Amino acid sequence: MQKAFYKTAKEIVETGFDALPSELVSSKHLIYSSPATLSFNSPGAKGYGVKRAGLAVPGSVMLLVSPGCCGRNTSLFKSSPEYKDKFFFQLLDDTDIVTGRHLMKITDAVREMLDFLEKRPSAVMICITCVDALLGTDMERICKKVTEETSIPCVACYMYALTREKRLSPMAYVRTSVYTLLEKQKRENKDMNILGFFSPISSSSEIFDLLHDSGIKNIRELARCSSFEEYKELSKANFNLVLNPEARHAALDMQKRLGIPFIEMLRLYQPDKIHNQYMLLKDAIGVDFDDSVLYENTVKCISDFREKHGKLRFAVGEILNADAIELALMLVKEGFEVKSVFATIGELNYSFLKALAKLSPDTKIYSNLSPTMLNYEPDDIDCYIGSDCLYYFNDKPGIEWCEDVEPFGYDAVCTLFNRLDAVLDPKTN
Amino acid sequence: MKKFLKYMSPFAPDQSGACSVFYELGGLIVICDAGGCAGNICGFDEPRWFDKKSAIFSAGLRDMDAVMGRDDKLIEKLSYAYEQLGGNFALIVSTPVPAVIATDLKSLERMCTKKLGIPCIAIDSTGTNLYDKGEEKAWFRLFETFASETFEVEKGKTGIIGATPLETGFTDSKILKKYLSDCGLHNTVIYSMGTDLDEVKKASSCEKNIAVSVSGVKAAEYLKERFGTPYEIAYPFIPDKIMSTVPYEKDCRILIIQSQLRANELRKKIGRPNTDCATWFTFKNEYALENDAALKGEDDLTSLISDRNYDVIIADSDAEKLCRDAGFSGTFIDFPEFAVSGRISDLL
Repeated sequence: MQKAFYKTAKEIVETGFDALPSELVSSKHLIYSSPATLSFNSPGAKGYGVKRAGLAVPGSVMLLVSPGCCGRNTSLFKSSPEYKDKFFFQLLDDTDIVTGRHLMKITDAVREMLDFLEKRPSAVMICITCVDALLGTDMERICKKVTEETSIPCVACYMYALTREKRLSPMAYVRTSVYTLLEKQKRENKDMNILGFFSPISSSSEIFDLLHDSGIKNIRELARCSSFEEYKELSKANFNLVLNPEARHAALDMQKRLGIPFIEMLRLYQPDKIHNQYMLLKDAIGVDFDDSVLYENTVKCISDFREKHGKLRFAVGEILNADAIELALMLVKEGFEVKSVFATIGELNYSFLKALAKLSPDTKIYSNLSPTMLNYEPDDIDCYIGSDCLYYFNDKPGIEWCEDVEPFGYDAVCTLFNRLDAVLDPKTN
Repeated sequence: MKKFLKYMSPFAPDQSGACSVFYELGGLIVICDAGGCAGNICGFDEPRWFDKKSAIFSAGLRDMDAVMGRDDKLIEKLSYAYEQLGGNFALIVSTPVPAVIATDLKSLERMCTKKLGIPCIAIDSTGTNLYDKGEEKAWFRLFETFASETFEVEKGKTGIIGATPLETGFTDSKILKKYLSDCGLHNTVIYSMGTDLDEVKKASSCEKNIAVSVSGVKAAEYLKERFGTPYEIAYPFIPDKIMSTVPYEKDCRILIIQSQLRANELRKKIGRPNTDCATWFTFKNEYALENDAALKGEDDLTSLISDRNYDVIIADSDAEKLCRDAGFSGTFIDFPEFAVSGRISDLL
């Protein structure tokens, strides 16, 4: 029995991104299924998958057209009040798949949904899965036909797990789908949108004050739209601020269809990099703001934490509201030790890994997905961050850091350390 | 509209049933999917997964694997995992993707057995059928593959076939053993629950078997033919708590909606006339009474309720709104059915 596979940060960087070991490349081995990989295999089981994300359009409902197995875990959130009467299922049998006859019944299914619902929905999101990917179903055409026959806007959502590692993954596609009902209208100079997440950016994030203080009047997020009318106002934005690369395609589509340009930022945890990003944002939108006090407060917050708890040894997972390697890099730069990181290495975070390798060459990099993780024996740490780490280190203090509200900016860093303090402080415990 | 769900969520599919049978037996289990099925099977339909490790994997199929039919790549990955982890056997569980591209599962079995040198079983689940269909195939293949040797029969030893968590809602074999003990069965082997592959291999040492689900009957029949082991059909795991919730009125009309053997056993315990059973899952006429019904969809339940005017319905509460909207105004007793809602309640 082989022990859990890992390479140190130094070893990975020495061999280079193009020569990653097979164990760290998900397409080269079976994908181990443990609670630590649930979010990889089934993003909807926790947080947002395509089904839940598709319902981000206010007042919309979803019709899942698939074999029963694809909708099985919907029970998890179907019982919560916000998803009451939101999900409908048209189940496929073998004959449907062979003949494609299920496609002829979608209009009837939508009519039955409309009869059943007390209130007419704003839109019907029609979600299809791997089966229709392989059949080559033209769902856009079917949505158009259903819209013509029922007068209800229909939008196709693709839960194609088969294409998850494509440039346009299912989650990137659904981020585009949820904005397709927007229509071009006059843009307002002082309006903007934040794109990237299905849940709102934490209200305590400084980004709102910084933008408001520099003259932006309305900052809109899809997750904060409580009605379809509010949703429609998203197309008034003068520009979009993209905080998650998965929303880039959506921003490009909005730029093309609605004439809304976009700027990209990343969610980072290194205070100096957060500052740099804000300076770039300031220049890009031609406004002025000063984040120096926020920066100083953040540095002090970290330093107070370090003074109180010492040079803690961390494990950092990848199921969290951060990039695991960037977060690990921040912890190392701030004087902590990172014993292990559970991460999927991609082009974007490889640059963080290179920096990490210089400062902490012995940090172990594991892949949750490797079959050898069946034999993982926990590293000796003081504290963990990440929902996947909770599975490995359930006897250690730590935080999952993957709530539905999205942390961002200096506020995210301070909140992170405050939360860590709360679990580490014996008085709190 | 048939096969259209407005109230309920889809039930546990056949691939979950197949995995459930093999989960504790020490093999390499590969769900031949792109990831989503593995997430559903493990994260939703396998309650043991959170506490008990098993070598269970997704094949991680991608679109080009499906288009090109790269079976050799799957065998390569499986062989690599076997080198790393070992295992008693390999199980390949099919899902909608291999079903659509008509993957030759028999050939996969042969390739895998040859390459790894251990038994390989492929279950042709499709994701369009329900858990008990997958379990039925899995129970049969399990015994057909591994129970080949004849052992001396141990007096009083009873094999229990079909008691997966999906069927019973129990994740701990000790509780099941207690129920069996209460029925006077003290020397029992509950296959796939707290027992290993060796017990399957020694199946012929049982004096008798009990099939506790419809999905276990075919395997029990096989063992009868192969070793002459007689079998009974029963479901000895009805929780006492559910009995205390049933109203006293003798002439009330009761409908129980559960898997067929479970519903039958509950009816027997209730012991009243005018008690009908219905199931969303496999329905066999030979185990049914006159007014029992197979529910193929939500519309069937609506019709049944309007035709039969029940006073009490005992079913998973996921069905309550459907029952109420169908005109049912009597007492609804929640009896969770894991394969319906994925809930285990304190009744169990």
